[in-house]
Amino acid sequence: MPLTLLTEAVVNGVLLGLVYALISVGLSLTLGVLGVVNMAHSAFVMLGSFFALELLLRLGAPPMLSVLAAAPLFFGVGMAVDRLLLRRTASTSEAMGLLVLFGLMLVLENGAILVWTTDTRVLPWQMGQMVLAMGGLRVSFGRLLAAGLALTMILVLDFLLRRTLLGKVVRAVGQNPDAAAVLGVDVTRISMVVVGAGVATAAMGGVAVAMMFPFAPQEHLRWLAWAFLLVIVGGLGRVRNTLVAGLLVGQLEALSGILLPFQYVYAVVYAFLAITLILRGRGLQAAQERTL
Amino acid sequence: MAVLGLTVGIGLWAEGLGLLSTLTNVFLFLLLTQAWNLLGGYAGYLNLAMAVFFGVGAYTTGILAHRGNWPPLLTAPLGGLVAVLWAAAVGVPSLRVRGPYFAVLTMILGFLAQVLAYNVPWTRGAMGIYVSPLPWDRRVVEQFFYFTYLGLALLVTGMAARIQSSRFGAALVAVREDEVAAGVLGVRTTWVKVAALLLGAFWAGVAGGLYTQRIGYIEPTGVFSLDISVDVVLMAMVGGAGTWQGPLLGVPLVMLVAELLRVGVVHLGLFGARIPVEFNRVVFGAALIFIALYAPQGLMGLIRPFRGRRLGV
Repeated sequence: MPLTLLTEAVVNGVLLGLVYALISVGLSLTLGVLGVVNMAHSAFVMLGSFFALELLLRLGAPPMLSVLAAAPLFFGVGMAVDRLLLRRTASTSEAMGLLVLFGLMLVLENGAILVWTTDTRVLPWQMGQMVLAMGGLRVSFGRLLAAGLALTMILVLDFLLRRTLLGKVVRAVGQNPDAAAVLGVDVTRISMVVVGAGVATAAMGGVAVAMMFPFAPQEHLRWLAWAFLLVIVGGLGRVRNTLVAGLLVGQLEALSGILLPFQYVYAVVYAFLAITLILRGRGLQAAQERTL
Repeated sequence: MAVLGLTVGIGLWAEGLGLLSTLTNVFLFLLLTQAWNLLGGYAGYLNLAMAVFFGVGAYTTGILAHRGNWPPLLTAPLGGLVAVLWAAAVGVPSLRVRGPYFAVLTMILGFLAQVLAYNVPWTRGAMGIYVSPLPWDRRVVEQFFYFTYLGLALLVTGMAARIQSSRFGAALVAVREDEVAAGVLGVRTTWVKVAALLLGAFWAGVAGGLYTQRIGYIEPTGVFSLDISVDVVLMAMVGGAGTWQGPLLGVPLVMLVAELLRVGVVHLGLFGARIPVEFNRVVFGAALIFIALYAPQGLMGLIRPFRGRRLGV
């Protein structure tokens, strides 16, 4: 019996890890390519969750479909954020850019509370409540689907970045924006694409989150902490590293979930995150200059 | 001077306790904002966890008063000292991290402090701590905290003004403008940053310590709230971060707007009386975006050009 408990924890850790990776990959991308710390990232995760909820309640659309709808919509939102807010702060200090995104986070979070209140919601989705049982091992079908979805999206993003011309251009901007501009790259346009992709993956991650966990507008900052953890563990800009970091953190959480009382998991994660930030904070900034 | 006379007059003769308590909150935030401004404004290190020092001070007082009935005049400075210890243990290593990463790190430390306050045995977790009120008439108690906070706010404002025109202040500004260059030119950047952090932590701890005695009940969500940290940053930014006059303008303005929104939204019933607090925060978030984009120097930045022209070379 303890063995199945352990295998269940490992399997759950893998599923969690994949979704964490999807949530974090956008943060890593915007930070790695543009050097922008997107404080509003997790707010878009939360909006993605509510997007899935609304589509399900109003149109009866299953979350697998709302992911497809969320991608272009939030890509546009991200482009608008870059065009209207970030481009203006590019010339001022980094601190001002951070404050702008922090302000955006406050607006999105509290706007969401006005619309959806602070109640905790669960996606009322029949298929997600099914449980698959294989040889004594029980896995929630919703979690399995969410993880599969996350893996697909991450592989697609990895392919786009590594194999297409657009991906190469994005990586070029990440390495040296001035040189890229000299070679004829429209850096402002690429920056819009990158922020758009970051916000879109955040929202898609939010749909996956809604398939796995209960969610509420005011609880999204937890995902910001998790995403930073993955970025710090996995380094910047490389999609595959974020994936590996996600699997690692997923295992950590699942296993410490057996060993520790639930609320201590948070304390451990936050303390670990703070310590690595202190120890690696400068390394991260240096790494930012030679990513991708 | 006239404003000062008016505030003292209000403190002595005001009829309603409501006005007194609102103004006490203004002084409380003035104290916190000036404390934040030392590191955040002058040195440009965006601390998003001022609430941690406030909360540590509040809990120090809470635990001491709960266990041994210590008097507030003693526990408040002790709260400040414990906040300084906390800042030395946790904050000083954090100062190695720069720019946006510092802001993120402080926010994470804020969450950590809150989670710890919920789970450590001697804080009584989510049950919170009750402190018996001071044994005087309600009005006298309110006046006592009114003048204590007023006095402290004035003291710290005066201190900030002195610092701004001192070598210490100049060193902090040099750190903000270019830390590496300042170091090369012989500014002891680490020492200067640590001093600003610890000084700010002390006053925030004192403010928290008095808060416990005034309110009589604390729990982790309230005193370690991210909202307090955000409000402090917003108030400093509105007035003008990195000037001692900035908080004097920003704090009353933001609190006035908050009060108007609270009353106004309830009155209009636009969003129902149940949720006005979040509407406040939407407006504040938008204000933060606007200031960062169009007026990074805050109100002081709008006033300064004129004065500069008059005195200009």
